Amino acid sequence: MKTWQRSLLMLFGLLAMFGATAYAQVPNAPTVEFPYTGNRTAVWIVAQLHILFAAFILGAPIFVVISEWLGYRKQDPRYDRLAKEVIKVTVILYSMTALTGGLFIFVLLATYPQFTTWLINHFFLIFAVIYPLLFIGETIVLYLYFYTWESWKGDKKARHIALGVLLNIIGTVTLFVIDGPTSFMNTPAKAEGASIVEFIQAATLWDKVFNYSWLPLNLHRLVGNVTFGGFITGLIAAYMYMGAKNDSERAYYDWMGFVGNLIGVGALLFLPFMGYLLSYELCDYDASICPYMMADQLSMFFEMQGAMVGLIFLASNYYIWLSMKRIEGVERVRISVLTVLVMIALPFVMTYTWTIFPVPDPKSLAVLVPLVLAPVILGKIVPPLGRLTVSSRVCIKVAFLMVVIGNAIWMTPHGFVATGAKLVEELELPSDWSFLALMPAKNSAAFTLVFVTVVNYILYNRAIKQGTIVWGKIDFASQFVLIFLAFSAIWTMGLMGAVRSLVRKYFHTYNLYPDFTAESFTPTLAYSAWWITGITLVFYIVVSFAILLTLRVSESKAHAPEGSPVPAGAK
Amino acid sequence: MNEQPSFLKSVIKKVILGVILGAIFVGITKALHFPTIFQAMFFVYAMLGTAVFILLDAPALPMLNGIKSLAALLAFYLVLSGVYIGGASLWPQYDPEDEKGKIAKLLEAKRRASEQGKAEELLVRAKALSEKADSIMKRLQTLGGPTEAAPTGGAAKPGGVSATASGDLVTLGKEQWELQECYNCHKLEGKGGKKRGPEMDNIGNLMKAEEMKEKILDPRSWMAEGFEKEYEKKKMPDKYKELMEDKDVDALVAFMATLKNPAVNTPKPIKKK
Repeated sequence: MKTWQRSLLMLFGLLAMFGATAYAQVPNAPTVEFPYTGNRTAVWIVAQLHILFAAFILGAPIFVVISEWLGYRKQDPRYDRLAKEVIKVTVILYSMTALTGGLFIFVLLATYPQFTTWLINHFFLIFAVIYPLLFIGETIVLYLYFYTWESWKGDKKARHIALGVLLNIIGTVTLFVIDGPTSFMNTPAKAEGASIVEFIQAATLWDKVFNYSWLPLNLHRLVGNVTFGGFITGLIAAYMYMGAKNDSERAYYDWMGFVGNLIGVGALLFLPFMGYLLSYELCDYDASICPYMMADQLSMFFEMQGAMVGLIFLASNYYIWLSMKRIEGVERVRISVLTVLVMIALPFVMTYTWTIFPVPDPKSLAVLVPLVLAPVILGKIVPPLGRLTVSSRVCIKVAFLMVVIGNAIWMTPHGFVATGAKLVEELELPSDWSFLALMPAKNSAAFTLVFVTVVNYILYNRAIKQGTIVWGKIDFASQFVLIFLAFSAIWTMGLMGAVRSLVRKYFHTYNLYPDFTAESFTPTLAYSAWWITGITLVFYIVVSFAILLTLRVSESKAHAPEGSPVPAGAK
Repeated sequence: MNEQPSFLKSVIKKVILGVILGAIFVGITKALHFPTIFQAMFFVYAMLGTAVFILLDAPALPMLNGIKSLAALLAFYLVLSGVYIGGASLWPQYDPEDEKGKIAKLLEAKRRASEQGKAEELLVRAKALSEKADSIMKRLQTLGGPTEAAPTGGAAKPGGVSATASGDLVTLGKEQWELQECYNCHKLEGKGGKKRGPEMDNIGNLMKAEEMKEKILDPRSWMAEGFEKEYEKKKMPDKYKELMEDKDVDALVAFMATLKNPAVNTPKPIKKK
C-alpha cells in the first residue's frame, strides 16, 4: 500500500469522526435496522475490529522502540530488523484502525443516534478536539518514525529512538483519553447520596473521565496491548519462518518468534492481576455487577475465560519446552528441589491464606512473599538443601502438572448453571468444597500459572547460558504454537471485551442511559462465541494480508535487500 | 532430551494412566458427594493432563513448505475456530428469554418517561381509540342507527381494575425481589446469594415497613449485625432510589414484611443514620 493510499484511508477516518460529531448535533436522527445481525451485533463487530487494530498499533510501538534501543545498545542488528519489520506492519494496520474507527462512529450513529448524540455531547471536547488532535499528532510522528529509519542511523539513532518514545507517549495519552468515555459507560461518575442524573448534569469533563474504572481500564488495556503486540509479532515470525527459503532466514525468524513470545508472555504475567483490579473496581462501584459477572448471566463467559487463559499459559510453556529441546547441553541444567516444592504447594497454601486474609489486605502478602522466596533464602541458610536439585526436564513436567491443576481450580464453577436463579443441588459444588469456586482459590490458581511460567523462563535462561542454542532448528510444531497463541489471545480479548460491554446490562451507560431496544438482553455464550470467532478470523485475514504485503512481497523484490540494517556504531 | 523410542507405546501408557487417574478422581469425588457433573469434570481434567503429557513427548513435526504449509495453516484455523465455538457451546447457556420480560418490566417506567416512550404511548393510545371508534361504528351500522362517529369520550367505560392494580402488593413485591435480583446477595428460603448480604427469611419480625424502605433507598441508613465489613465496603448498591418507582419499593417492602420465619437467623438490623 502506497503512502497516498494510507493517507487517504486515514483522512477518511478523520473526516468520519468530524462528520459524526457534526451529525450528532442533528436533532431526532432516524434509526436504521441492520439486517441479519441486528444493530447491537453490527456495532459489536465494528467496535471489536477497531479495538483489535488499535490494540496492535498502540501495543507494538512500545516494544518496537525497546527492541530498537536493544539493537543500538547490544550492537545486534536482529533487534533493529525486528523493530523495523513490526513497525512496517504497524503502519499498514494504522490505516485499518482509522478506517474501522470511522466506520464504528458511522454505525453507532446510524443505529443508536439518540444515545450517540448524548455521549458525544458529554465528551464534546474529547471527540471534537483532543482526540482528533492526538490522532493527527500520532499519524505525523508514526510516519516520521517509519520514514526516518534508514536516514537516522549511526549518530542520529538516539534521535530516532527519542522519536519512538514520543510516538509511545502520544499513543498512550490517546488510549487514556478515549478510555474516558469508554469507562464512563461502565461506571459513570457518581457521588454518595446524590442523584446520579443530577450529578452528571453538573459534573465537569474531568469528573466524567476520572471515573471508577478509568485507571484500571487504562492499565488493563496498556498491558493487554503489549501482550497482544508480542503475540502478533510471534505470528509474523511464524508466517515468515514457514515461508523462509534458507537457514539464515529460518534462524532469524526462529529468534524473532522467541522474542515475540517472550514479550507476549512477559506482559501476560501481569494481565490476570490487571483484570482482577478492573473487576474489583467494577464491583466496588456497584456490588450487583459482581454476581452478574461471576454467578449469574455472565458466569459461563468467565468459565470460558478460565479455559482460554489456561490454554494460553499451557501453550506459552509448551513453546519454552520446544525451545529448550533444541538447546545443546540442556540436560546439565538443574534447579533446586525447593523450587519444585514451592510450585506444588503454592495453589493450596495460597488458597488457604487468601481465604483468611483476602486480597487486597496487606497481610495477604505475608505468606506469599516468604513462600516465593523460600527456595533462594532456604538454599542459602541451609546449603545442603540448596544443593538438592532436579533436572530441568523434571521441573518443567511438574510445572505443566501445576498449570493443569491451576487451570482446573480456575475453571471449577460454583454450579453448572448459567444463572444463580436456576441453581439446584444436583448442579452445585458441595458446601464443604465451595471454596474452590471463590476468589481466593481463583487468585491462587492465577498466581500458580504466573509462578511456574516465571520458573520455566528462569530455567530457559540458564539453559541458554550453559548450553548452545541452535536458532532455526526448533521443532516445526512451535510455529503452530505461536499462531495458536496469537489466535487465542485475540479470541480472549474479544470475549472479555464482550463481557466489559455486557456488564452494563440493559443500559448504554450503566444506571444512567437505558437501552430501550429489544436487543438489550444478555446473549448466550454460544452466540457470542460465533461472533468472536468470526471477528477474530476477519482480523486474522487482514493481518495475514498485511504481513504478506509488507514483508513477503517487499522481500521478494529484485532490489537490494533492506533486511540488513546496521545499528549505530556498527562497522 | 531424548525422544521416546516408541511414541505410540508412550501414548497408550499415558492414556491408561490418565483413565486410571480419572477413575480415581471420580471415585473420590463420588465418596465426597460431589454431583455427577462435577465427577465428570474431574475426569475431564485428568484427560486434559494426559493430553498435555502426550504432547510433551510427541516427536518433532517435520518441516512443511509451500502449499502443504498453507493447507496445514488453514486446517489449523478451522480446527481452532471449531474447538472454540464448540467449547463455548458446551457450557450451560443462559436463556435470554428469561431476561427479556424482566428488562421490559424494569424499564417500563423509564421508557414511559422518555421522549421515545411518550411518542410510542401516544401511538398506542391513538391506535386503541381508532379501533374503538371502528367497533362502535360497526355496532351502530348493525343497529341501523346513524353512521357518524360518536364521540368516544363519554362512551368510554372506566378502565377495569386489573388484578395487579387491585393491589396484590405482596405478589408484586415478590416480583420486584426477582426483577431487582435481590437473590444474588440475600438468601431466602434457602435459595440465592450466600455471603454478600444477610438472609432475609425473618426480616418481617425485625424491621418495620418504613425502616425497610429507608434501608432500600439509603443503604447507609441501616446495617445488619455481623455485616460490618460489607457495610463499610458499601456492598449494597445505592441506586434503587433511582432505578425503582415508589410503588415498586412499597410492593417490595410489603412482600418483605411477610417474611416472618423465626427459625432462620436473620441478623439484627442496627440503625446507622
